[in-house]
Amino acid sequence: MIEVDEKQMPWSKDMTMASLLATLENVEFCSVVRLNGRLVSSPKFAETIIPDNSKIQLLPMVSGG
Amino acid sequence: MDKIKLKEIKCISYERAEIKKGYTDKSLRVNLDSNEITISPIEERIKNKFIGGKGYDLWLMWNAVKASTRWNDPENTICISSGPLGGTPGYPGGGKSIVTSISPLTGAPIDSNVGGYFGPYKKFSGFDVIQVDGKAKKDAIIFIDGIENKIKILEASDLPTDSYELSDVLTRHFDEDKPVNVSVVTAGPGAVHTNFGCLNFSWWDAGRKRVRYKQAGRGGIGTVFADKKVKAIVARFGAISMKSNNPADLDALKLVTKAHSKEIRELDPKQNRMSLVGTTHLVPIMNDHDCLPVHNFKFGSHPESRVIGEEVYEHIFDKGFDGCWKGCTVACSHGVKDFSPFTGPYKGKKVFVDGPEYETVAGCGSSLGIFDAHTIIEINFYCDAYGMDTISVGTSLAFVMECFENKLITLDHTGGMDLSFGNRFNALEIIHQMAGGEGFGAIVGKGIRQMKQIFAKDFGADAAFMQDIGMESKGLEFSEYMTKESLAQQGGYGLALKGPQHDEAWLIFLDMVHNFMPTFEDKAEALHWFPMFRTWFGLCGLCKLPWNDIIPEDNKNTSEPAKVAKHLGWYADLFSAVTGRKSSPEDLISMSEAVYNFQRIFNLKMGFGTREHDTLPYRAVGPVTVEEYESRQERYDEQLKEKYSLDIGDMDSKEKVAVLRQKREEQYELLKDAVYERRGWNNNGIPTIETVKRLGIDFPEVLEVLKKNGVE
Ligand code: SF4
Repeated sequence: MIEVDEKQMPWSKDMTMASLLATLENVEFCSVVRLNGRLVSSPKFAETIIPDNSKIQLLPMVSGG
Repeated sequence: MDKIKLKEIKCISYERAEIKKGYTDKSLRVNLDSNEITISPIEERIKNKFIGGKGYDLWLMWNAVKASTRWNDPENTICISSGPLGGTPGYPGGGKSIVTSISPLTGAPIDSNVGGYFGPYKKFSGFDVIQVDGKAKKDAIIFIDGIENKIKILEASDLPTDSYELSDVLTRHFDEDKPVNVSVVTAGPGAVHTNFGCLNFSWWDAGRKRVRYKQAGRGGIGTVFADKKVKAIVARFGAISMKSNNPADLDALKLVTKAHSKEIRELDPKQNRMSLVGTTHLVPIMNDHDCLPVHNFKFGSHPESRVIGEEVYEHIFDKGFDGCWKGCTVACSHGVKDFSPFTGPYKGKKVFVDGPEYETVAGCGSSLGIFDAHTIIEINFYCDAYGMDTISVGTSLAFVMECFENKLITLDHTGGMDLSFGNRFNALEIIHQMAGGEGFGAIVGKGIRQMKQIFAKDFGADAAFMQDIGMESKGLEFSEYMTKESLAQQGGYGLALKGPQHDEAWLIFLDMVHNFMPTFEDKAEALHWFPMFRTWFGLCGLCKLPWNDIIPEDNKNTSEPAKVAKHLGWYADLFSAVTGRKSSPEDLISMSEAVYNFQRIFNLKMGFGTREHDTLPYRAVGPVTVEEYESRQERYDEQLKEKYSLDIGDMDSKEKVAVLRQKREEQYELLKDAVYERRGWNNNGIPTIETVKRLGIDFPEVLEVLKKNGVE
């Protein structure tokens, strides 16, 4: 299992950040996530493998600076 | 240090104005030529039109300076104001000061929004805004004592020269028993010797029992301050509560303050964790999106950037409450305790460093090829202590390093110093030289625009190449975001009134990452509303960060998530609660639009403010060199083929650079057209008569300036 924004979700082998987000709704604002405490940005989503028992926070990055 | 001695030159007692609904309705003018201290009422019509904060500053400056006024003329004015909402304890970001002057770098009005307690203390002492003009004969301190109700001009001698020690000494001097009652504004030797001097605004950190400070960094206001021989401006006031602003509706104020503050407390730990890492989370994010300036904005990422981002600073920052305003729950103004510099006058001593923030890490780190957290902290410390803007220092040094690597300047010019990217010791040495006005550092301290002229004229350097790589626009050095792949952010920088600073418009994510504004019209629309909301914070005395750096959880379900409607509603409620002027989020835009257009016309009055001044160095728009092109070849090739339908089969990289440049520069000009039209400006970027009438800023003197520029 993994935890995404405090909700439990099933984990699968070879799961990437991109494949996980493809299963979620309303994530068009999500271009950055925190995976087990570490920031990962959208250009790296496809290559980022999610380990089992991961904790993920989706960051609503609208603006900054 | 022994007890300091200050000689009183002038002292007046005054009756402190009662605060009504966030306003004192009084301005304070201190003229250092004549040592006159004048307190004047602020007219209702000015209040209604200019709101406060930056609006008041600009109005006073407009009346103080002539079209011919230069930054170092006595009539140039430094204005510092708070704003009707400034000084609300517990409201996130509720205590900013807004500082303006004619900039040594741009020749036009510059504004800077800064933390610390000065703005609210000055207001509660009886003045919405302070205006300082003239030039003192000897180093002067202006003391606004809201406890004793006195204003003094004091002559200062034998005081510490740097801001770090000076802030501490003056804070303790002006209220030894209760240093929390004091906020001081100081510059330093770097402000004397460079064109990008900054001002440090202090507050007393009760937890750590020490003085802290934030910087009004941009545009060299510290240089003007030093030129006027102002050593410090000090405000002293007692306890502050929610009642201090005498709000129209105290209960409504408490309600909205509690709601916004609570949301941040709950959501910041789940989002950007700014209360732990400040803005350093942006380092890895910008790096991964290819937007972190590396080697003078040549590239947008670097494999070593992780060692200068949040993962490192989280462990270096001293733990404790770090709000630069009382009770701000974002609390992002972190610092480093017991830091021991390895160069300069503080070498081997233990100091507290306020910062670094993202801008300093990117400008004085990655852009210089310095991937060492310790060196960045040291640069941060000395820039603040010397009173120099870390952004202009970093961006100027990056330009110098690229010139050095391209042999436009050599060891003969730099005093024998190798200034290749990554040379951290020599970067620090240049900073010490800048502060002392010595050696090659004295030239760097003039800023990029003047360096380009000096390098071309005196060293025979290639002027066209320097124009392309010198990251300045309107004379101001760029802040630290790569804009090559975001046309909207190119506009955000190029069309910003004061020059390329991200506080006016930050659209990289909305444009480049989310692709929410595919057309010119979409981008122009965003370049209308975004700067208007940001302007509004400067009118009211608020910090911009709590608007959209921490986002309500249900924001994504709203019709326009980019605007963060819930927060805009809270801001309108806050304005209504304090001032009694019932307001909606739409009203915030119309308040800003009047001041924004007034500032554009102020630029025009000073000889700027037209299309030709909204230009960018090509480095901000696309790849200048073959090296840059080839580093992102796949991306650029695809754009030439797909977006512009070009057959590039027979082209070499040099030809591709040229054709891409032509296309991208055309796009930027088209963007200007669209933005000018949306803003109600003519094709030359000047507000039309209809626009100034609609906004109610059709004062005779405004119409006169427009007429002189062919608009009637
Ligand atoms: S959000 Fe950060 S910078 Fe803004 S007032 Fe709060 S602590 Fe200061």
